[in-house]
Amino acid sequence: MTRIDGRLVARCTAVLAGLALCATAHAAQKELVIGVSDALTGPGAVYGLPQSNAVQMAVDDTNAKGGIKVGQDVYKLRVVAYDDKANPTEATNSVRKLIDRDGAQYLLGFCCSGPTSAVASFIGRENVTMLVGNAAERAITAQGIPNLFRTRPPADFTGSAAGAFVAKRGVKTIAVIGSLDVSFYSQYLEAFEREFTKKGGKILAKETFGLKDRDMTPQLTKVRALNPEALLVLGYVEPCAFVYRQAVELGMKMPRYGFTSGSEEQFLKVATSEQMEGVWDLRPTELTVSALGERANAYVAEYTKRFGIPPSPSSPYAYDQFYVLKHAIEKAGSVDPKKVQDAIRSGGIPPEAIMRYLPVGSAMFDENGQAYTTNGAFQWQKGKWVYVSDLPSDPVAYSKYLRSLRK
Amino acid sequence: MITEVLQQVLNGLAIGSVYTLIAVGLTIVFGILGIAHFAHGSAAMSGGYLTFILTERLGLGFFPAMAVALIAGAALGVVLERLAYRPVRDAPQINAFIIALGLTMILEGGNLLLFGPDQVVIPTPYQRVYTVGGLVVAELRIQVMLTAALAVAAMAIFVSRTRAGRSIRAVAQNRQAAVLMGVNADAVATMVFALSSALGVIGGALVGALLAIAPGVGEGLVVKGFAVLILGGLGSIPGAIVGGLVLGVSEALAAGFISSAYKDVIAFLVMIGVLLVRPEGLLGKR
Repeated sequence: MTRIDGRLVARCTAVLAGLALCATAHAAQKELVIGVSDALTGPGAVYGLPQSNAVQMAVDDTNAKGGIKVGQDVYKLRVVAYDDKANPTEATNSVRKLIDRDGAQYLLGFCCSGPTSAVASFIGRENVTMLVGNAAERAITAQGIPNLFRTRPPADFTGSAAGAFVAKRGVKTIAVIGSLDVSFYSQYLEAFEREFTKKGGKILAKETFGLKDRDMTPQLTKVRALNPEALLVLGYVEPCAFVYRQAVELGMKMPRYGFTSGSEEQFLKVATSEQMEGVWDLRPTELTVSALGERANAYVAEYTKRFGIPPSPSSPYAYDQFYVLKHAIEKAGSVDPKKVQDAIRSGGIPPEAIMRYLPVGSAMFDENGQAYTTNGAFQWQKGKWVYVSDLPSDPVAYSKYLRSLRK
Repeated sequence: MITEVLQQVLNGLAIGSVYTLIAVGLTIVFGILGIAHFAHGSAAMSGGYLTFILTERLGLGFFPAMAVALIAGAALGVVLERLAYRPVRDAPQINAFIIALGLTMILEGGNLLLFGPDQVVIPTPYQRVYTVGGLVVAELRIQVMLTAALAVAAMAIFVSRTRAGRSIRAVAQNRQAAVLMGVNADAVATMVFALSSALGVIGGALVGALLAIAPGVGEGLVVKGFAVLILGGLGSIPGAIVGGLVLGVSEALAAGFISSAYKDVIAFLVMIGVLLVRPEGLLGKR
């Protein structure tokens, strides 16, 4: 009879145990791809690049804390980001690559409405979850796409609050200059006009500029001749900054209101602080530390340390997207997009959220997949956007209106 | 109404003076050497970016920075002529055409690589605003128009009053005869490219201060420059001056009184209209 060596048995057992442990550890350590499609270059990059950075920052922080725990598994996250150049065709290609090649089931970013609408048109047929950031076109969430959620409120939710605010300040006549061929700016204006005229105000002119236009003096000269009491400027940061600057160069001294969501640094690349003095930005209460408090302060400090420049005001929409997703995955106990969507739909506001959200009932997102932040009036004072007041807004009423648009 | 029209004309003259600078640079290269130098706009933008770096990072004043960039631009023009265009001077014209397109891509790519995708605005201290009889004009716009006028005047004096300028005119009139008379045609070609690029750099710096420099701006400017070239008359310096101002003013009037969305279309319609009446351009030779 062969004698079994006790030490050999012990060694074999140890090796097998080690292998088993490795196998267990291997099974537990998984990777989850977070896809980002956003404008990383071109005119939309002022919104898209900070969004992409914000997602990367949130993911890095989560990975540093061990990842996302789902049952027995721990998921480490990997961001794959593509530049959609704020172009619908590029965005479609980016998202197809993310889904088909990179295997991403969670898509974040989406700063601009044109490309986001293009992706929204087919995303309902995909087994993925899409979280939209800064893109403000109403139709994106008016269609009731079950796997699409948006952290930023639609432009007209803010526009009506802005119209009431400007009328309340005693303005009777206003001239508009903006990217009015971009639908979310026209929706903002439509809602603005409804509230403004309801209170006795009148819009004297609606002048348009293109996304790449830089010389607005012809339109401003035309507007100046009409002698309005105020100017309303709607568009991306850079063209709007040119409007503010050139209005001063044309000696226009009336109050200037706008809807742009640009940071101080972004405006100061085009206009001087003196040229910007007194400008109002009527927008969702985005990243303004004085309006949002300490968590925003920490976000700004960390972002600035990581990327060398302060974040844009709208970048936390993407940061918050990630934490919505993280908590939903944890709550669902699964990475199955359908279960995660259910968890998002019933979930509250994540504790890490930077923006100030207005819940609809107990949930962060309404039945349209839309979240709402407070709206605020900000004024440029001595080189800074200063939070002046909230703009009264009713998310429940707007949510019903948004639902009523569904065919 | 009259004040508004005059204000629009004034607005148009500022941007028109930039078009003029670009077009004069193009017209001397085309008129004297017969080369459609498509890379001119991108070279102008390189100069604009350099001016930005010198003002923003090194703290130079706007005009000293532009002067340094102008010298660098002239040097770039010399390099382009020697390395890219001279080897194909006696080849079929299509070769120079292809090289011009290739150079545009190289310079645009180089600008993107060196200066990044963001637009930049060159800071200047000219922030005052003057009001005269209901017309308002910013100090910066006055500086732009004066600088453009001075640069074009200096170039015109150089071409008409100096020995080197005489050589340029001789080559422009009849290259072979000029060579037989002892004019160094190679030196003239180098000089023309240096002059053209220097003017382009001034245009790039002015557009960077007035509006902004960004990828694609140079290509847009060169398209406008060629439009002015045709409008004013191929190879005509006075034609380029008048054509640039006409294009700038037409754009401003079209944006102000019709629609900003169609300002480019309307400006080009004006160009087509002029060419229908005068196919040789406003000041071209019949």
